[in-house]
Parts: sequence; C-alpha cells; structure tokens
Amino acid sequence: MPTRALTQPLPLKLTSTGFLLVWCVIAAFPIFWIAVMSFKSPVDAFAGNPFQVIFGPATLAQGKGISVLDIVLGLAVIWATARVATRTLPRLIASHAPAGYAWAGWIIGSLTLAVGFVVVFFGLLPAVLNALSPIFGPLGRDVIGLSTEHYKTVWIDRGFSNNFQNSLIVTAGVVTVSLTVGTLAGYGLARSGSNLAFGILIVALIFRALPHSVLVAGYLPVFINSAEWLRPILGENAPTLYGKPWAVIAVLVAINQPFTIWMLRSFFQNIPAELDEAARVDGCSHFQAFRRVIMPVMWPGVITTGLFSFLLGYNDFLVTSLLLDAQNQTMVPAIAGMFNRETTTTDQVVAVAAAVSITAPLFFLVMVFQRQIVSGLTAGAVKG
Amino acid sequence: MKLKTIFLAGALSLASTSVWAACAFENDVPVKSLTAGFEAWKAATDAMAECGNFQASLDQEFKEKQPEAFAANPALYQIGGVANETMIPLLNAGTIRPLDDLVEKYGQNLTPNQLIAVDGKIMAIAMMVNAQHLMYREDILADLGIEEPKTYADVLAAAEKIKAAGVVEYPLGGTFATGWNLAQEFVNMYLGEGGNFVDDDNMPTINTPEGVRSLETLKAMTAYMDPEYLVSDSTYVQQQFQQGKIAMANLWASRAAAMEDPAESQVVGKVKMASAPMGSAAPATSLWWDGIVLAKHMTDEQADAAFRVALEGLDSEMVQANNDAAVWLIPGYDVGPLAAGAAASAENGARPYPASTALGILHSEIGNGLAAYLTGAKDAETTLADIEANYLVSAKEAGLID
Amino acid sequence: MNSRTFAAFVGPSVFMMLLFIAFPLISVFTQSFYVTQPVYETVEVETCTPGFLSQTCEIQRKSIPKLDEDGSVIQETRFVGLDSYRNVLEPERAWKAISSLDWGAFQAIDFWKALRFTLTFTLFTLPLVLGLGLTIALVLNNTAKMLRGPVIFVTLLPFIITPVIGALSINWLFRGDGILTALIENLLNRDIALFAQAWTLEILMMGYRVWHVAPFAAIVFYAGLQTVNSDALESALIDGASRWQRLRYVVIPHLMPLIVFVSMIHLMDSYRVFEEVVGFSSQGHVISLQWLTYDFLVPDQAGNRSISRASASAMLTMIGISLLLVPLLRRTWRDHKGGH
Repeated sequence: MPTRALTQPLPLKLTSTGFLLVWCVIAAFPIFWIAVMSFKSPVDAFAGNPFQVIFGPATLAQGKGISVLDIVLGLAVIWATARVATRTLPRLIASHAPAGYAWAGWIIGSLTLAVGFVVVFFGLLPAVLNALSPIFGPLGRDVIGLSTEHYKTVWIDRGFSNNFQNSLIVTAGVVTVSLTVGTLAGYGLARSGSNLAFGILIVALIFRALPHSVLVAGYLPVFINSAEWLRPILGENAPTLYGKPWAVIAVLVAINQPFTIWMLRSFFQNIPAELDEAARVDGCSHFQAFRRVIMPVMWPGVITTGLFSFLLGYNDFLVTSLLLDAQNQTMVPAIAGMFNRETTTTDQVVAVAAAVSITAPLFFLVMVFQRQIVSGLTAGAVKG
Repeated sequence: MKLKTIFLAGALSLASTSVWAACAFENDVPVKSLTAGFEAWKAATDAMAECGNFQASLDQEFKEKQPEAFAANPALYQIGGVANETMIPLLNAGTIRPLDDLVEKYGQNLTPNQLIAVDGKIMAIAMMVNAQHLMYREDILADLGIEEPKTYADVLAAAEKIKAAGVVEYPLGGTFATGWNLAQEFVNMYLGEGGNFVDDDNMPTINTPEGVRSLETLKAMTAYMDPEYLVSDSTYVQQQFQQGKIAMANLWASRAAAMEDPAESQVVGKVKMASAPMGSAAPATSLWWDGIVLAKHMTDEQADAAFRVALEGLDSEMVQANNDAAVWLIPGYDVGPLAAGAAASAENGARPYPASTALGILHSEIGNGLAAYLTGAKDAETTLADIEANYLVSAKEAGLID
Repeated sequence: MNSRTFAAFVGPSVFMMLLFIAFPLISVFTQSFYVTQPVYETVEVETCTPGFLSQTCEIQRKSIPKLDEDGSVIQETRFVGLDSYRNVLEPERAWKAISSLDWGAFQAIDFWKALRFTLTFTLFTLPLVLGLGLTIALVLNNTAKMLRGPVIFVTLLPFIITPVIGALSINWLFRGDGILTALIENLLNRDIALFAQAWTLEILMMGYRVWHVAPFAAIVFYAGLQTVNSDALESALIDGASRWQRLRYVVIPHLMPLIVFVSMIHLMDSYRVFEEVVGFSSQGHVISLQWLTYDFLVPDQAGNRSISRASASAMLTMIGISLLLVPLLRRTWRDHKGGH
C-alpha cells in the first residue's frame, strides 16, 4: 500500500515514533522492574530510592554481583535467542516441517529453543564467565548487586518445579480439549445459518459474562462430595473430583468455550464454504470434508485461539486455587499463597522471583508465536 | 555470578532445616493435613513429614475448604489446623473427633494447657498462642524521654511527641487493612473497654458508649499513621518497622522475630516487646491459639496414625529448632524477650478471643463497615448502627436469629 | 448441514457449557429465592482455651446447630421470594436517600456503591482502551517493518502477564513509597499517598486495566488494518481526502466489526471487575459488583456464608451486563440477518 502520496510528513513521523517509545516504556516497565527486584536482597528490593534498587549496594556488600563483562555476554545470549526465535526458527520450520504439520514443528522448535536457552544461560555462561572474569581486570569486577539465590529458593527449596509441572498439565489439557471441542463447534456454527446456531452463540456470550466466583463456589461442595453422589452410578471406583487436574481442565474448558467458539466461528466463516461443498460433492461426509479440506487450512486461526486458551489456563487463579489441593497446585495459586501467608520480606522477594519465573515461559511463547497471532487474527479470527 | 557462594548458602540453609532428629516411628498409613500457611505451620508440618506417608497442604483457602473436606465421608484430610474461631464450623458440624482416648494413649508429653476441651471432651491440641501487643522503638522513646506507654492515652501522647520531634516518618503503625484486620483492631479495643459483642439471644450489643470510645481511639491513632492505613496488613506494618519508618505498633507476637532478623531488618536490637496498652477494663488485645484437630470420618487405625504423626510435629525438638517462629505452648520452648509482650499482656488479664458463630458474622460485618467511619463518611453511632443492621440481616440468613 | 450433523459438531461444546455453566447458573437462580440454614439451639457449654501459662475454662451460652441421628447438621430450606434481592438492593433506604437527594447516604448502601464504581470503571475504561488500542495499531502500522516485530512483542507483554502478578507489581510501584509514587512526589514536591483516598485508587485501578487490555485491542486492530482495502484508500486519496478523513471514512468503517468485538469483550470483562479490587485491596474505599458477590460468598471465620444474597447479587450483575450488551447484540443480530 505504500504509495508515495501516503508517506508521512516529518512532524507526524516524530510524534508517532515518540508515542511508540513512550508506550513501550509504559508497557514493559512494571515487568522489567519486578525482574530487577527479584535479583536483589530484601533490603535493596524494597528500597525507596530507585537507584538503590537497580545497583543493589546491600546485595553487592554480601558479595553477590555481576560485572560489565557478565552483562555484555548475558545480553548477547538473550539477543541471540530472540534473533533465533524470530528469524531462524520460522525459516527452519518452513523448510523442514512437512506440509500441514507446521504446528508440530513450532512446538518442537520452541521447546528445543527454550531448553537450549536454559542450558546456555544458566549452565554454560556462568562457567565461561568464571574463567574469563580474572582476565578482563576492571571489566570483570562486580559493579551491580545481583543474586540468584531467590530463584534457587523458589525452584529447589520450595519445590516450585512441581507446581510448574502441574501448570503444564492443566494448560496443555485446557488447550487440547478446548481446541478439539471448539473447532468442531466453531465449524458447525459457521456452516449452519440457522437461528438455533445464532441463539447458541448469543447464549454462549451471556455465559461468558457470568461472574466466575459464583460458578466456582458452586463447584466446591459438589466436587468434594463427588465420591458420594457418583457412587450409585460408578460404584466403588467413584472418584473425588476435588484435587483432580482433569476436573479442573474440564471446568476451565467450559468457561473458555464461549470465547473459543466465537473466535473460531468467525475464522471458519472466512474460509469459503465452496471449499468443503466441493468435497461434499465428491462424496465426503461433513466430517470427512472437515478433516480433508478444512483442517489443513485452519491452523492460523486455531493457533491464535489456542494462545488465548493457553493464557486462560496458565493464568487462572480462581478455579485452580479452589479446586486443587497442595499436591497438584498450579503456579499462580502457589505464588498467591506465598504472598498472602504470614510473610517476611525475604519471602516476598522469593515470591517476586516466582512471579518472574512464571512470566518467562509467556515471554518465550509470545516471542515465538507473535507472527502467528497477527496472521491468525488477520485471517479473520475476529470479525465481531 | 559467584556460584560457589550460592552453593554454600544453599548447603547451609539445607543443613539448618534438618537439625531436628527424624521421627520416632515409621508411619505406614497415608495421612494428609490441611492447615493455614504461616511459618509455625510450616515448621510443624515439616516435622510431621519426617514420619513418612504424610502430605501437607498449607493452603490460604483452608477456611473455605476445611468444613467441606471434613464433612466428606471418608474425610479428604485427617489432620486439620485450626484457631479459636476456625474450629467453630467443624465443631458445629460435628466433623471432628474427640481426642480423649488418643491423648490417654500417646499424649504423655502434652501439658494440660494444650488440651482444648469443649463440654468435657478434648477436641483439639493447641500448639501456640498469638496476640497483638505493643512493640516500640526503645531507642527513640528513650531519646525523647518517654516512658513505656501503658494505656492508649500514653500511646497517643507519645505519638504526638515523636511526631513533633520528627525522628520517624510515622509515629504509629497499625494493621488497619479493611476486612479481617481492621475488625480485629476493633475487637481488641472493645475487649479492652470491657464490652460484650452479642447478648444471650445473639443480638448485637456494640452500639454502646464503649463501642463509640473504641472507634474514637482508633480514629485518633490514624492521625499518626501512614495515610494508606486502610491497606496496611501485618506484613506491611512489619516491613515499616524493619525499615525504621514507624516507632510503635500493636503487632502480632508471631511477627516479633522479624525485627531481629539482620538480613532484612535495619532496627535489630532496638525494638522492645511490651504488654498491649490497657483499655479501661483490660489490655486492648485478644488471645488466640492455633492447634490441630482430627477428622471424625476415618478409621480408628487412621486416627491412631494421624494423631501420632501430629504429635511428632508438635514435639520439643521441633520447637527447639524453631524457637522464635511463634509463642509455643509446647514443652521445650525457651521463653525469650520476643515473647515478653504476649506474656505481659496475658499477665495483665488479656481475654481470649470470644469465638462463636455470632462473632464470626459480626467480625466480617465490622470489617466491612468500619472503614466508612475512619474515612469520615459516617459518624460513630451511624457506623455502629449500620454494622448492627447488617449483622441482623446476615444472622437471619444464617438462621442464628429469627 | 442437517440438524444431526450440526448436533454432532456442536454437541460436545454445548454439553460442556450446559454442565459447567448453565446448570450452576440455574442453581444460582433458584438459590436466590431460597435460604438454607441450620436449626440452632442454645446450650450451656464449658469451654477451655489455653492462656499463656494456664488454661481458662468458662461456661458459656452458645448457639449450636442441631444434629440428626447420623451426626449431620439438620438443614432447613425456606422459600423467601424476593427477600434476598431486597436485602441486597435495600430499596427503601435507597429510595429515601434518592428522594432527599442525599448522595452520601445513597452511596452508603453497598450495592449502589458497587454499582456506581462498576459503571464508572466500565464506561471510563472503554473509550480509553479503544482509543489507545487504535492509536497503537495505527502508529504501529506506519512504522518501519523492521521495528514492528519488537514493538508488537513489547506491546503484548501487559496483556499476557498473569493478572494477579500484574496487579501486584503495580501495587509495589505505587504503594507507600513505591518508586513511581516517589517519582511523582519528587515532581510535585509534596507528599502523596495514592492508596489513601478513593479517587486516586480509582484512577490507579482504571489505569491498570487500560494498561492490561489495550494491547489486546491494539493487536486486533492491527490485524484488521492489514486487510484495509487499498483501492478504497487510493480512491479516497484521489478525491483529495486528508489523512484524518481517510481514517474517518475508510479505515474506521473497515474496523467497525472489530471495534464492536473488542467493545463487547471489554464491557463483559470490565463489568466483572474483581482482580483490581483484590490486587489493590481497595475494598475500604471502593468495591465492585463481583467483589460484593464474592464477599457474600466467602465464609467468615465461623463458616457462615450468605449464599442466597450472593446468588441474588450475581443475578443482578447478570442483568446489568445483559442490559449493557443489548445495543451491541442488536448490531450482531442485524449482521446475522443481513448475512443470510
């Protein structure tokens, strides 16, 4: 579209660049700040003076800090990761993944990248730096107080990896089930012009407006006593739904269904109906048409919708905190628990470290999938 | 990145958590517990875990889950952690088990003070007491020539002097966060004034001269506090203390140890624990206890195992390893200067928190209604009358009154 | 598509929604007309509680629920009609306050106080979210291709961050002497406390919500901008339309369905505002409708909860949101009719 007449006058260009800059600072600052806090001793982390938080004199005084060299190399690794995620990875997937299985390529690729980053950043880099620091003299001397002890506390002493695992199970379950059920429904709704279909959509929309706390509080007694009221149906093996990840997955999927089917319906509406009608003429049933014709072209919309399901499952607090017990608790209620119990200031910084840890996978996710989000939305996943 | 120091610190912290000896017996019956999540419970459940086959849930939603989980048959948890007030719903629903037989069999080391008896039957084993009491900066008060405050009039006078001297940001701190905390402050004041919350027919009796006096004292205190007092909970007040921003506060005994923690406190050795200031009848505080109960819906074998595991968690070794985490009731507790405030309050006649179904409702209503008075939206009588009116609606819905 | 195939496609989804949303919803609806309560009796009980050194035992009159032979509490369910709604709405008191034009007294009633804030919150944040989202999308669409990726990445951060964590981090930045408060204090050269009065808290909460949701709007609009018909833009250009006119008459109409979509989602979400109240612990100053419902529902420490009033308040919230959505739904309905 860029015709010459559309180029912008300089003042407009400057204003818009300035605006973007300000917005980026506003958007990133709180997250940047909690990340900084999580690396400091409690005295520094909650200091009133911002410079004290950034440079961390009290942390440095404890002999924990990083040097200019550390910073430069660390940033280089992060930059390289971002570069690989946004440039190399899409290219590799485009050239190596078999057609129709790009999604699998994305999953494998991003997992490899994440693991690789963790190994290099937390394993290789410290070793290299330890060897290099003495050589570089002043550049190798600690200048900024920084300590990773809170992360150690979270992940090793507090067993946060267990919560991480639970979060993965719940999130993976929510995304898979939600998309399976939702794509079918979205397709059905898009291809049926009946008033019933529209009615379902409107009712789903009203369901989406329900205050969750009411629904969830209603589940608790039913879930806890499920062994008793399911016994007549299922006999002695009747499960207690409370504390079962799959029961939580079912609830989250249901809560997320209205949004999922709305998104997918409008996406499918933008796929010309002639495509599957042609397949139907060739003697395919609706399901076969769906599988052969629609499935290969639906991934942009499904990935985008899946991302929203992911966010819902990963970030949920209300449902998971009430319906899971400590053994299968996910990360968000675990962190909220760290903040809310009778805490010391150290506990709070530990909780901040946990909060940053939970944000890191989201970072990766967006880094890897941002093109897909935009293209999925562009392809019509949202059309009101 | 000094990996060595990190590992060293990690090794040290590991070493310090495994000081106490392992469990005295090998537990082979699966036992689960549901308790609140604060430090003392962490210490106790960690000690229980050494017996094996034990899973602890330290859950901030325990209040909501416990009644349901204990009502299920079989109960989802065998051991529950409760306090004065949170035992009421379990007691009411009859879902906890009398412990007399088990105490006779295994409880030789329990002191009589630990046994919570209702209607002649032992229903819970207490492990610690907690109370809000005065903590003050000894150095500041000494510098300004102020005596240890004994009453709230003293506290306010001292606050005025400290404010005039301008040595700290705010003379007073207070756990005035809207909701449970703020209501607890009122309960303390009202008990100190000698007030009663409900009468024999569960009708509210807080709209009294004592009630108004309590409110006025609370409001007088806010003048010397951080203007954001309606969001300051115990952790926040504790932090203000540690950072040297406040000089006095009526804070929980379980928070005392934090003042002496060199890793985060800048006032180590400067904070003194004293009795809660006197109201006109008693110290303006209430005594709380925390302890364990056992679910009724389980086999005798399970109950046996659960009780033995629980006692392992509440033994002297655990207390010695975590002496400052709480004011323990367990033999072996070394009563240090940190417990002085709770002890002095008890000595001055502090009353136990008068737990009951009615007060449970009233406590919530006070927590919701009090802020309107402190922000100046309502006067004292209207505030108390509105709280009573809301209490009547809630109590009627709960079936407590007709 | 015949109705059997349709049912097969839509069935699983509808079943899940019926089981986990519609069914609880019906139970909430019925509960709002009933109260279930235990039958209390008053007895004298001796209770012993620990003191610091020795026990105190006293005989107290206590109300405790009656138990049946199985040892479970005897519950009584009564039809109360609209009583719970009346208890939530307090119509007499509200009417008295309105007729005497006493805003303060009117706002002393929890429901109306919550409604006032919820509506303010919803209606103030909506234009801000749409405006900010649209601006970001337009500016983003006009910057160099190279910059777009990183900017989209940064833009999405506030949206993906876990809401509980986001609210907490804002909390640290502003509470007490949080560094941003300290910054503002430095600029204005006076002491300020953002958590000490209602209006600053409200601004903070709205600011947080806009920060959190505007990226979603921005990214949706940006995606929409990729499909603007360049022919239409060029013909507008030939007609001599200014930048502003092109935006007004070509771009905005093209984005209209998306604007409706984002508005709908935002209206629903912000009418349920809840995380902000908890995250900023603002309940001393302002409360929202969902917080009110939640507060009825959370058991107090003696285990009592006001299920009936919570249900009534939830139904009232539902009615409110449905009313707000009517204009947007009518538009969708028209599109549906026009589309087939």
